[in-house]
Amino acid sequence: MSTTTTEKRPRTRKPTTTHSTLIIGAGFTGLGTAIKLREAGVEDVVILERADRVGGTWRDNTYPGAACDIPSLLYSFSFAKNPNWSRAYSPADEICAHIEDITDDFDLRRLIQFDTEVTALDYDRREGTWTASTAGGQQYRARTVVLASGPLSNASFPNMRGIETFEGKKILSAQWDHDYDLTGKNVAVIGTGATAVQIIPEVVKKAASVKVFQRTPGWVMPRVDVPTPKLAQAVFAKVPAVQQAARNALFLSHEVAATGLVWDTPVTTLIQHVGRAHLRLTVKDAWMRRQLTPEFRAGCKRMLMSSDYYPALQKDNCKLITWPIATIVPEGIRTADAIEHHVDAIIFATGYDVQLGGPPYPITGTAGRVLQEEWAGHAQAYKSASTHGYPNLFFTAGPNSGPGHNSLLVYVQGQIDYAVAGIKTILDKDLVSLDVRPDVQAKYNESMQKRLKRTTWMSGCTSWYLTKDGFNGAMYPGFATQYLRQMKNFRAEDYDMVSHGARRLWNVPAAQAV
Amino acid sequence: MGTTMDMEEMLQKIKDRQWALADIDWDAPGAELITDEMRPKLKAFMADLCWIENVGARGFAAMAKKAPNDTIAEIYRYFHAEEQRHANAELALLKRWGMLEDGEIPEPNVNIRLAIEWLDKYADNMSLSVLGTVIPMLEVALDGALLKFLLDEVDDPICHAVFEKINNDESRHIAVDFAVLDMLGHAKARKLAIEFVSGVASPGLIIGALMYIPLLNRVRNEVVDMGLQPERLYGAMGRFKKLGDRGEATHRVPLYQVLKWHAAMVIDPKHPYHLLANTMVTLSDHYPKFLLRPIPSWFKELTYEPVSSTVDKPGTRKDAA
Ligand SMILES: Cc1cc2nc3c(=O)[nH]c(=O)nc-3n(C[C@H](O)[C@H](O)[C@H](O)COP(=O)(O)OP(=O)(O)OC[C@H]3O[C@@H](n4cnc5c(N)ncnc54)[C@H](O)[C@@H]3O)c2cc1C
Ligand SMILES: [Fe+2]
Ligand SMILES: [Fe+2]
Repeated sequence: MSTTTTEKRPRTRKPTTTHSTLIIGAGFTGLGTAIKLREAGVEDVVILERADRVGGTWRDNTYPGAACDIPSLLYSFSFAKNPNWSRAYSPADEICAHIEDITDDFDLRRLIQFDTEVTALDYDRREGTWTASTAGGQQYRARTVVLASGPLSNASFPNMRGIETFEGKKILSAQWDHDYDLTGKNVAVIGTGATAVQIIPEVVKKAASVKVFQRTPGWVMPRVDVPTPKLAQAVFAKVPAVQQAARNALFLSHEVAATGLVWDTPVTTLIQHVGRAHLRLTVKDAWMRRQLTPEFRAGCKRMLMSSDYYPALQKDNCKLITWPIATIVPEGIRTADAIEHHVDAIIFATGYDVQLGGPPYPITGTAGRVLQEEWAGHAQAYKSASTHGYPNLFFTAGPNSGPGHNSLLVYVQGQIDYAVAGIKTILDKDLVSLDVRPDVQAKYNESMQKRLKRTTWMSGCTSWYLTKDGFNGAMYPGFATQYLRQMKNFRAEDYDMVSHGARRLWNVPAAQAV
Repeated sequence: MGTTMDMEEMLQKIKDRQWALADIDWDAPGAELITDEMRPKLKAFMADLCWIENVGARGFAAMAKKAPNDTIAEIYRYFHAEEQRHANAELALLKRWGMLEDGEIPEPNVNIRLAIEWLDKYADNMSLSVLGTVIPMLEVALDGALLKFLLDEVDDPICHAVFEKINNDESRHIAVDFAVLDMLGHAKARKLAIEFVSGVASPGLIIGALMYIPLLNRVRNEVVDMGLQPERLYGAMGRFKKLGDRGEATHRVPLYQVLKWHAAMVIDPKHPYHLLANTMVTLSDHYPKFLLRPIPSWFKELTYEPVSSTVDKPGTRKDAA
């Protein structure tokens, strides 16, 4: 009978067991969650990962110059430190190797199903379980789910006029083609964001010419990237408390920066002075400085951290072009000043498919509600982790959880603590469902939006933090300390709970439970 | 606000109507229609025209930083580039007519140099209401109008094809210019007064006027030199008034009234104003060259080459051929 179906979709295979927890994604977050769950005694955990390796962001982003722009000491989990970071800001391959190490050190590999892409999640209200469908046809069922499929894990070529006509080599920063040699080539780079400022200095070293096409300049802060002294590595390895102390100091300094980067304050102005001084000291030409001077408050968009970006732009084989791109043509790029730039390759550093409306796969909660539809307008959750109508499901990097300029992993650690507390509650109390109360969620979001008003993100720039109508469902308006405090505090009374025991005793259908 | 322009729609239209030097066959027949007698004057005039485009470009660059919203800022970013496009296209015509050596960019005259110095120094600090009034004047009087003269004089079909494209761009520039001017007029009277007083009394604007007056008269004289009717230039300045008065609130912008009054003087050939203005032209010819500051780098971005295959740093321009 299968011969009549032309569709290639593999046959669905129903799940045979119900696990305690399904984790989607084997990046930092998914793996960190598994570590903490097992520490809390939850052993029956399955991690579904679409790739064939762990690492997430740091497995996928291998473009030249890829590195973290938050110091490695802070850009790591406090419960899985690495004493051997080679530099202040580690390169991508080193971070990826660290993630591989964590996987082995905590014996997580056997929990992971690789090459398993989740295509849908459906809630069964009667059983209080979630079923994950996957591209391969196999389904997985669990009582709880942690979404850790990454905030920036998908990227695609931008929808630019004429892009399909280009006859040269197109390179997407997040899917770098290492077989293509840029040596001696004429190259265009589109975009001047966090990724571009890392790529450009590297490409300028190799290519014959590099033309950088900029739409909006960002604030660039100097980044002092030094090798970690051998002595420090040795001390970190022997006396972990010293590394923790260094981490704490970095944490505090980022909290101080938040007074200018999260809220629009005189400190913001001070930070802009630093940015302007950086520009003045490193860029010779007055017109170029003008082209590179941002027109929004510092912090409103992601800060750029680089000490070699400005020098690279001024190299003899590099040129900054600020004319709008009129169209891409077979030979290159046409700008609005009527000139056609012929190039061998175009590097698109144009960002990621930002998921302001939730993960790209459909998530169906109680009463057939679909998350993507509910969040199509404005995403909201309670403490960025739970959303009413989707019981037993925990978000990471959820609505209003983004740090201004701090390590995402610091925030993720809070999200992991919260999810573990919720999952423990469900398992220990033998709950069918744990669903956040809509009134609690509404109140929380009201206060979020009120607090957001005074932040730099709302100071008038357009950024990927905001929806088209200017709603900010992405960033957390506060200090990391505040965020972590709220995430440490799991309040069961904020949730509607239905327990298996109660159902058996009173025969209460899930829908009417208190 | 009566008939407000839909700026989103305008921006889309601008994006849809882009053109490039590569769209034009610069070697097509017709260049031979330029007579030897016309050459020197045509070259001087075209060179000025081309630099005036570039001055307009710099004006839009300043406007982009002042725009009341992102859409208008993006429109100004395009206009900035489009003025550069006009200048590039005009250079390409000069090249086509054999008036430029390889790699040659014509010298800007002293009035242009002064205007450029002024722009570089002051334009970014001018308020939107000042820039938003001055730019439309520059557009109708110089940028938009001058090229119409040429079409009467020059028979080269490529010249006509190029100017048709430029004119289409200009009609969008002028539509937006006056829509924004009208928008400005809707501001609170108090705000208008404050911006006027601080803008007009500022040394920047006074010096700006000292640059603009001789520049305009130099161009007028050139037009006359070429045997054209200065009335055409005056007609263009009259258009400033016509378009401005059509706006609902434009008349409330004080600087608009000043420019209108100025235009009326310019249009009247017997007005003693011309004595003053022409004296200024003469004076500026004697402006000591050593006082001129180095030409800013943006000024050297002009090119007649449709294609750029490598990186040209200003000053080290290599010919891509
Ligand atoms: C270039 C770059 C630089 C960055 N630099 C910093 C920095 O310096 N500091 C900082 O704080 N943050 C930085 N970030 C943010 C970074 O994304 C996070 O810090 C962190 O890596 C997120 O980890 P994660 O595990 O949540 O997501 P990811 O690392 O994206 O991992 C998600 C995993 O889920 C998998 N997955 C996705 N969809 C599915 C599916 N449907 N089914 C199964 N598996 C799926 C993916 O394959 C991936 O392995 C950077 C991001 C990028 C892209
Ligand atoms: Fe023009
Ligand atoms: Fe114009």
